[in-house]
Amino acid sequence: MKKILALIFMSFLFISCGGAPKLTFMVGGAPNEVEYWKKVVAQFKEKTGIEVTLLEQASKTEQRLQSIQVALRGGQTDPDVMLLDVGWIGQIASAGWLESLGEYGIDPTPFYGGIISLADTVDGKFIALPVYVDGGLLYYRTDLLTKYGYKNPPATWMELVEIATKVQAGEMAAGNSNFVGFLWQGDKYEGLICDALEYFVSAGGNFLDPQNKPIVNSEANIKALQFMADLIHKYKVSPASVYTEMNEEGVREYFQAGNAMFERNWPYAWGKHSADDSPVKGKVGIAPLPGFEAGKGASTLGGWHIAISKFSDMKKEAAQFVQFVTSFEVQKNLAMELGWNPGRVDVYKDADVIAKNPNLPILREVFVNAVPRPSLPYYTIISDILQTEINEAISGKKEPKAALDAAQEKIIKVIEEYGAK
Amino acid sequence: MGLNKLFSQYDNREVRNAYMFLLPVLLVIILFILFPVIGTIYNSFFKVLDVGGGQSTFVGFGNYGQFLFDAQYAPRFWESVKFTMMFTFTTVIIESFIGLMFALILNESFKGRGILRTVILIPWAIPTVVSAVMWKQIYNSSFGFIKWLMVTFGANPSVITLGDFQSAFWALVVAEIWKTTPFVVIILLAGLQAIPQDLYKQGQIDGAKMFRQFMKITLPLIMPVLTIALIFRTIACIRVFDIIYVLTSGKWGTETLSYLGFINYTVDLGKGSTVSVLTFILSFLITLLYIKFGKFGKSIKA
Repeated sequence: MKKILALIFMSFLFISCGGAPKLTFMVGGAPNEVEYWKKVVAQFKEKTGIEVTLLEQASKTEQRLQSIQVALRGGQTDPDVMLLDVGWIGQIASAGWLESLGEYGIDPTPFYGGIISLADTVDGKFIALPVYVDGGLLYYRTDLLTKYGYKNPPATWMELVEIATKVQAGEMAAGNSNFVGFLWQGDKYEGLICDALEYFVSAGGNFLDPQNKPIVNSEANIKALQFMADLIHKYKVSPASVYTEMNEEGVREYFQAGNAMFERNWPYAWGKHSADDSPVKGKVGIAPLPGFEAGKGASTLGGWHIAISKFSDMKKEAAQFVQFVTSFEVQKNLAMELGWNPGRVDVYKDADVIAKNPNLPILREVFVNAVPRPSLPYYTIISDILQTEINEAISGKKEPKAALDAAQEKIIKVIEEYGAK
Repeated sequence: MGLNKLFSQYDNREVRNAYMFLLPVLLVIILFILFPVIGTIYNSFFKVLDVGGGQSTFVGFGNYGQFLFDAQYAPRFWESVKFTMMFTFTTVIIESFIGLMFALILNESFKGRGILRTVILIPWAIPTVVSAVMWKQIYNSSFGFIKWLMVTFGANPSVITLGDFQSAFWALVVAEIWKTTPFVVIILLAGLQAIPQDLYKQGQIDGAKMFRQFMKITLPLIMPVLTIALIFRTIACIRVFDIIYVLTSGKWGTETLSYLGFINYTVDLGKGSTVSVLTFILSFLITLLYIKFGKFGKSIKA
């Protein structure tokens, strides 16, 4: 009797573990993104007869990282293929969890060379391909720019402050008490790191030097952080809500409601701003971000890259799928349907795509020089330190120098503890 | 003692069969509760990095030493212990007052009591993340309800909510109280209904007024139930995560222990586990205190 019961129980356990290998693809994000991947998967099945199962993730970036980490730490055979944020590739690749794509005859030359070498190459092997490329951009109101007598969007941060001050004063006097000059991402989260990097690099600084030594409290960084805090407290062109709650969507909604002159955001906002129900439709322009000197602006590299898991049980089919997703036709569809920016450079010359999105030449210029965030195996803890300190500095709770000194000291200790790999 | 007395009623074969029927449940408990808990304690003695494929190095009590004493980790750890305790006690004290009030009201018979009892459960039935996002909208500095109220009552439009530690702290406390008071109400209500009506009649005959009845009959008799509610709420509060994650992401000293653990898990499984174990120890100690000092409810029987 006992044995029978035990057998029944054990068989329950095993049934749930077994099953034939299947090709799975882990994606997340906004509903329209997931819908898009469902279509791609259907096309792939039509073409090759291989079924791909989508594993859907949450839309928040940190949660997507966690679900991938859980699967890979456990050596799961699923997901076979996944999308990785450019910020985590270093962390995941240095764990040895990603297949080298070169072995499967995948050619990286049609993609942004700088991105491949800065973000997708670990220990000489290229392990991921950019599917969408992102970079920080300046959105501005074309109608207000002309109304207040300016011709071009600002090339330097001080010009931005000047225009923003004038427009903000004018619009507030005209009755819109919610109007603000410039919105950006300042809440304590990964987005703040992206924004801060842009100010730091355009002032001539960075978080780490090319040898991955922390140079967080350099003169240039202090000056840049001081400027970020000044935008809120001294020039008063950015509202205090920047450091309490502003993330990409918060900024986009505020700007889209017609309440801001400038907005720092990723390329995705363009599609939303120019949608039919958008109050600012046809009144928005984009430009590269200003610099502390003209022409010295910087843009943080963002975007999602496709990679194959080391533990995949269908690596060949997975490679076929990766090739399909990064092929010219599928990448062109991505640009046409979602309005996102493909990782392949050749798509940017396609006449249909340019007709659909006239901003592409500006975007291409931005992406070629985009700066990646540090690529370290323990990046998340460094990011957390920087998020805390930078957020406290822009909220006026700490002096920029004190905040960056503290961050520098903590990061050195983290590197000491976890090894300077 | 209970177990032996129970078993003595049955012969050996019956006891054996009983165990067999319990086996599936026991296995589930071992697999899904005991195993992960022991695994967490085990992991806390290692440094587990993703680099090089999740290799782990034994560090003994090293992780504990770092969180308790090391200059890099200890200040942040103790800061989050302090905040967690502040948050827990403020929340639990306020919500047991409000909870008791609601329970007393709902214990009286009046028209619409059934509906009200159901309605009051709604906040508790909503998933915490959902209610946290809802409060985030309410507190939103651009279009939120609180902001609108402040501006309507004459504040400058550039005013912000959640702008400093004080406002962030109270915002979190209010959101948590709103969410979990119904739980206290329901438990206390069950306690109130178990009080025999005879006692009140007796009290009336002896000439005790309402307030005296409350102090001498109601309060002592629901004390055991109140203690249980307090224990549950305190434990739940010590591991509060969702509300912090959504509303402040640990900004400006609003980091709780579970948030600290979460941050550490992304880099080093060992450190994350250590924070979890320390959180467990803390809530265990507090529970012991409650049980020790919660006993005064029994003195009424003597």
